[in-house]
Amino acid sequence: MGCVLPIRVSSVAYGPIGLVLLVVVAAIVWVLPPYYTGLITLIGLYALVAIGLNLFMGYAGQVSLGQAAFFGVGAYTSAALAVKAGVSPWFGMVLGAAAAALVAYALSFVALRLRENLLALATLALGIVINVVFNQWDFIGGSSGLKDIPGFRIGAYVFDQRAYAILAWALVAIGIWFAGNLVRSNFGRSLIAISAGELGAQALGVHAERLKRQTFVLSAVYAGAAGAVYASQASYIDPTSFSFLLSVNFVLMSVIGGLRSLWGAVIGATVVVALGQILQNVVPIVLPSARGDFQGFFLGVILIAMLILLPRGITSRLGEAHRA
Amino acid sequence: MIASLWQYVLSGVVDGAIFALVAAGFVLIYQVTGLINFAQGEFAMIGAMTAASLATAGMPTPAAAGLAVLAAAVVGAICYLLAIRPARAATGVTLIFITLGLDVALRGLALFVWGTNPLSLNAFSSGNAIQIFGGALPPQALWVLGSDVVVFVALYLFFRHTYAGTAVRAAVANPPIASTFGIPLRTFAFWSFVVAAAIGGIGGVMIAPITSATYDMGLTLGLAGFVAAVLGGLDSLPGALLGGFVLGIVEHVAGGLWSTGWEQGVGFLILVLVLVLRPQGLLGRAARRA
Repeated sequence: MGCVLPIRVSSVAYGPIGLVLLVVVAAIVWVLPPYYTGLITLIGLYALVAIGLNLFMGYAGQVSLGQAAFFGVGAYTSAALAVKAGVSPWFGMVLGAAAAALVAYALSFVALRLRENLLALATLALGIVINVVFNQWDFIGGSSGLKDIPGFRIGAYVFDQRAYAILAWALVAIGIWFAGNLVRSNFGRSLIAISAGELGAQALGVHAERLKRQTFVLSAVYAGAAGAVYASQASYIDPTSFSFLLSVNFVLMSVIGGLRSLWGAVIGATVVVALGQILQNVVPIVLPSARGDFQGFFLGVILIAMLILLPRGITSRLGEAHRA
Repeated sequence: MIASLWQYVLSGVVDGAIFALVAAGFVLIYQVTGLINFAQGEFAMIGAMTAASLATAGMPTPAAAGLAVLAAAVVGAICYLLAIRPARAATGVTLIFITLGLDVALRGLALFVWGTNPLSLNAFSSGNAIQIFGGALPPQALWVLGSDVVVFVALYLFFRHTYAGTAVRAAVANPPIASTFGIPLRTFAFWSFVVAAAIGGIGGVMIAPITSATYDMGLTLGLAGFVAAVLGGLDSLPGALLGGFVLGIVEHVAGGLWSTGWEQGVGFLILVLVLVLRPQGLLGRAARRA
């Protein structure tokens, strides 16, 4: 892996801060217009994916360019069960996460034999193969996708945008609490050992292959659960919602926040979604001819600039300031 | 049945020739820098879009094609100088992300410059379709195959019969020792990007009359180029050629017999199989950098 990051596992209490964040979100969405509430939900769901991705990429030192596929598997599983069989989205969420885990488990036997360049290529390829399946499988709507996906409900109460925001950030709080405990456990320290050098880690008695697989599956669980909530919140999904570009966006979130930082995942998701919104509103004013996914240019440039100027992400600077 | 199968093979050969050009760019950069350049397909897009827009503006096709290849090469140089060189101390994964960023940025830039409408380019020569054993090839196919011959023969001659080519091979074989002999590794890395971009640009110019040019064609072409490069062996230029043709033919046959929507999926299944069963590819040596 070359450069070894200093082993500094933060002692921040993930659980309580996650809970505070949830309360703050719950308070904010009370006063925000529904459109912005929807964005806060989206940030929470993406943050959840990015937390899982940081475990796999930042802590275990691997790379995945196919995370959007797990997000999609979770979304499609929950949506298809709800639309075709009337399964409650609550079960859909659990089953979506389980389906994503199952897919990741199966793929791990192919992907995790590879490293760096080839692992990147393999995860990219598998992500696209899964997207082709979404496109071609008529049962789940093919290229036109699934619409009128039932929403979450508790008894007679059907979730509105505020409730989705709270649900999403509750998942973030749980997700970051769990991941925070994980990275401070023996498991997490073993992952860092793997990223520093797989051979060396094995020599120290770390079962590298099994740990990488478990982390890959866990990252898929995070993405799958987030995808399931996304499907119900958006009420409409199609294969383009889970494209390669979304995988690149997830990578961008991880990199911007700092790969080896769980809060970095939350910050990264916030920055990327906010940036997308700003660009969407500002660019047409400056350049009236711009259409389509023109954010790509800026996201790409920012990704490159971040990696050159601040390769350990925003939180690396925060950490240094904190220690100084 | 046999007749249509033959036709799929012929169509696959044309696509395969383009894939081989994109794959050659991957292999060049990988050999010289050890880097997989995810933006490689965008060089082909820039070639295609520049040629089509210049020709639409009234420039004669040969001049438009030449300028387009030059434009791709310049973009390749800029990419290297602005994104790759400043990060040369970075580790493998960081560099992967940087080229990924380049890919997304170039596609976005093309959207700014050219918009979403497809641009068309006239075929380089008119005439009837060429009949081969009952199958048909468009006249453009000769240009595509011809450009493959020119590019690969030129690369072969450069690497085998020039002083500079020998120096590059030395640099690939053992960078530190080559460096002590005064071989400028960084200059070679720069030129590998320029030449790879130019070759990609040629591929784009050649395919534009067949598929028309769009701002987002680079992703598909780039992905096909990867598969071809990995299939043939990432460190083998003849492998890129072979991989391109195999992939083109398999995709078209599978797409024709099954459904065109699965074409890309079949290509990637091949990629995954190769990565697992024979990571060094058909013609590559055992992986130096796995």
